[in-house]
Amino acid sequence: MKHKKKAGPNYNRYGWAFIAAAFLLYLIFTIYPAVESLALAFQSLEGGKYVFVGLKNFKRMFGDAIFLQSLKNTFLYMIIQVPVMLMLALLLAVMLNSRFLKWKGMFRTSIFLPCVTSLVAYSILFKMMFSLDGIVNQFLMHLGILEQPYQFLQNSVWARAVIIIAMLWRWTGYNVIFYLSALQNIPKETFEAARVDGANAAQTLFRVTIPQLKPIVLLTAIMSTNGTLQLFDETMNITQGGPANSTLTVSHYIYNQSFVYAPNFGYASAISYMVVFLMIILAIIQFSVAGKEG
Amino acid sequence: MSKERKLKTIKNLLLHIFLLIAVLISVFPFYWMLSGSTNSSVDITGGVMRFGRNLKENWSQLQGTANVFLVCWNTIKTTLLYTFLSILICAMAGYGFEKYRSKGKNIVYAMFLLSMMIPFSAQMIPLFKMASRANMLDSHAAIILPTIAMPFLVFFFRQSFQSYPTELIEAARVDGAGEFRIFFHLVMLPMKSTFAAAAIYAFMKQWNNYLWPLIVIQSNEKKTFTLLLSSLASAYYVDYGQLMLAIVLATLPIIIVFLTMQKQFVEGIVGSSK
Amino acid sequence: MKRKLTAAITTAALALTLLSGCGNTSNTPQPSNEPAVQEPASGETSVKDTADSTAQTGNGETKTVTVWAWDDNFNVAVMKEAARVYSETSPEANINVDVVSLSKEDVYVKLQTALAGGGSGLPDIVLLEDYVSGKYLNTFPGAFADLTDKFDYSQFLSFKVDAVSQNGKTYALPFDTGATALYYRLDLIEQAGYTEEDMQDLTWDEFIAIGKDVTEKTGVQMIVEIANNKTTLVRAMMQSCGLWYFDKDGNISIQNNEALAASFDIIMKMKEAGILFEAESTEGRAGALNNGTVASVVNAPWFISSIRQAEDQKGLWRAARIPRISTLDASINASNVGGSSWYVLENSAVKDEAIAFLQGVWEGNTDFYDTIMRNQGAMGSYIPAYDTGVYDEEDEFFGGQKLNGLFAEVLPDVIPVNYGGYVAEANDAITTALANLFEGKTDINGALEQAESQLANQLGR
Repeated sequence: MKHKKKAGPNYNRYGWAFIAAAFLLYLIFTIYPAVESLALAFQSLEGGKYVFVGLKNFKRMFGDAIFLQSLKNTFLYMIIQVPVMLMLALLLAVMLNSRFLKWKGMFRTSIFLPCVTSLVAYSILFKMMFSLDGIVNQFLMHLGILEQPYQFLQNSVWARAVIIIAMLWRWTGYNVIFYLSALQNIPKETFEAARVDGANAAQTLFRVTIPQLKPIVLLTAIMSTNGTLQLFDETMNITQGGPANSTLTVSHYIYNQSFVYAPNFGYASAISYMVVFLMIILAIIQFSVAGKEG
Repeated sequence: MSKERKLKTIKNLLLHIFLLIAVLISVFPFYWMLSGSTNSSVDITGGVMRFGRNLKENWSQLQGTANVFLVCWNTIKTTLLYTFLSILICAMAGYGFEKYRSKGKNIVYAMFLLSMMIPFSAQMIPLFKMASRANMLDSHAAIILPTIAMPFLVFFFRQSFQSYPTELIEAARVDGAGEFRIFFHLVMLPMKSTFAAAAIYAFMKQWNNYLWPLIVIQSNEKKTFTLLLSSLASAYYVDYGQLMLAIVLATLPIIIVFLTMQKQFVEGIVGSSK
Repeated sequence: MKRKLTAAITTAALALTLLSGCGNTSNTPQPSNEPAVQEPASGETSVKDTADSTAQTGNGETKTVTVWAWDDNFNVAVMKEAARVYSETSPEANINVDVVSLSKEDVYVKLQTALAGGGSGLPDIVLLEDYVSGKYLNTFPGAFADLTDKFDYSQFLSFKVDAVSQNGKTYALPFDTGATALYYRLDLIEQAGYTEEDMQDLTWDEFIAIGKDVTEKTGVQMIVEIANNKTTLVRAMMQSCGLWYFDKDGNISIQNNEALAASFDIIMKMKEAGILFEAESTEGRAGALNNGTVASVVNAPWFISSIRQAEDQKGLWRAARIPRISTLDASINASNVGGSSWYVLENSAVKDEAIAFLQGVWEGNTDFYDTIMRNQGAMGSYIPAYDTGVYDEEDEFFGGQKLNGLFAEVLPDVIPVNYGGYVAEANDAITTALANLFEGKTDINGALEQAESQLANQLGR
């Protein structure tokens, strides 16, 4: 504690003052509702009233084939989409940060743009692009890859692929923003030094850039994992979870349990906390992997 | 030497070609949206990609369904207020966590991170109860307040402030500057690109915020764009021309903000290279 | 423009920076954000005040009845028309009807949250599909007003009244019906060598035979259905036999439901015959119909507005009663898909006014029903309205056919079933089963068995 003295006697108090506003809002609007909804996970709505049902909601999950399917789908998205997206984003960010690049502003803006599209537009667009007479089928037929139009959204494997492609389109540029802003915080001298030492582009990328970006890579990895676990809009709007629940995600299922089916907020809440639990485990894994590498 | 230069030129060319393809893929839907807003519904579902002559018709249709200007103003108002408040409050918190470390604060910080993982749908009903008890249903304040303290932004700012040299802060203290003065005058300005990234994040989040406004907003007069789009897109018969135009109108402001922030990004580079 | 915006943001930022910079010692969040939020909120009320004052008709205070509904061109427009009519016929009631337009899903999300969250923030009147009626009445007993004595329900279609009743009490004013029709392209049928007469009172087997010829001779597929949501056809076929996912007592009836088995069989035959166009989405379905890549569709009256969009197809369309299932004697050439009704919330502050409004317009005023039939194509459930001139009107788009008359003829035949309230769950189970059937993973019996167990599991039975 003593070495902090140089910051003044009120050091700690100032720190709290900086945090106060956020902390207060957070207590009221996050912690309180979260605790209340945790209580809900042990209840069930029966005849318009909540009844305590113990662990029933949690037990139900393990025998619920649709929930297990949605969990499987979600992990599939996560394992494929998150790494592909982050690598692509990093590649794009490094390219966009290149000294030799012309029309920087144009490139950057265009690549960021997809993440501003509204959900409605984006889902209609992807539905139409992959429809029978959509542009994707037209293109593939033109190239001679397909002889007749293919029903992408009808096949469970392809439907998942379309969801992943849609997410890649919308969220890659978004991650580029974070990488780029982090790249710009790396002092130019670091790169100069690497160049003077005769490092080539690849060496610079892996020895200088990536280590410097580690915190932000970790950040985006957690954010994307989190985003995938909460993935809902895309499946809801593009495939409605079909065919045969093959694209249904956990969050989509939570939504169905809350609002589409007979309201089962207790069960929905129990599933939510299962997701939280999984997220924590994944975050711990990610942190420890990142820690080891460093 | 000349061989090396040639290699460099080819590399450069590849770089530009690769990025151009990425740009095409990224931008194509925007072209499609724009052309769609000038076409009739039948043309859109029929896959027409050219610009059409139905813009005026779509506009009068849209005007007939909703007060677009009011919806636009509602969205801009809530989004700007939200963006401003959340980056201010989260930046301060991130700074507090990073530069005034203590055990207690680390615990609070861990709590922040943890709560990032709770799906919003799980908090919705308690939040709704709070809003109705506080008599805040159908107000824009109710849209904004619950998510101002965004764990993710706090995390983001804390990470970013790590790169700000603590020595500079200490030097300022020696000069007798107050703690808040140091933050607002010394620390904030050079971190422009960080703030720009955070602002984009907050702006987008609020602009496209859907589920929570849906729950708290009760009247047509308070509606935001996402709610309008959702009701337009779910009719028994969807007029895609009208919908496309609404989408274009809903997307334009965010693009403008984007371009503005883009400038901040670029300035950030210029600033750091000097 | 761009620069101005930046300037504005920067000034605002600076102003607040200075403000909070001053309050160095105590940095509490409340003062800094409260005024910022309060100000616009008061601006909003003034907007609303002016809106209210225009609706003011005389002395006394104007009461506002809030309605939640979906579809601006349909339900919302109809309710606005009802409000207009009411303000003319009963100006003394002095109410202002505020119709809030949401998507259908959003109405349910808001309603369920508000009901589960203790009951504030609810509308006074809400539109609900008949399919979900049972779910809401079971889950939230007492939330909706008992309207049994408020209307003369013998004047409304009995299957509609059944759908909104529970334990002998009726909870809603029946609104539109989903009287099902087969809409088809006469020109394509004729090219295949058939006439309008051949399309009347078909069985599905006959329909498939005609479809094969149409597809063979014109290259156009006969019928469209949405691939991930194949239940429109299934539901239409099922109710044509007076059967449903649930039996009269509300028990799940899927595995041994002969109508469901027959409908699966028919759809599979369509697929095998190559006459089924599987659209990926509602957009795809609308596109296929408007582009002329498909020759027919089975759906409710409100679906016509989607067909009408293709102006170049004017006069080519006809409508007919839907085909029946030949293997089941109970099956008739009439069915229903969807339809919704108006509910009054029990705890509404203006409950009596809301009921009076529904009584004033929706019971007795056949002119109103004519207007909404003509303008929105909304086919009400009020029987006396079926005798009016609007049902003799000829529809140019359908080659001068008396389209409204067809619906009025079909409706009385529709066999009431117990929707059971959990149609969303059942639809999902059936969709999954059908998808598995289509991918060849199982046979019809297996698919039904699987759907039954999925539904039982969902409903915790």
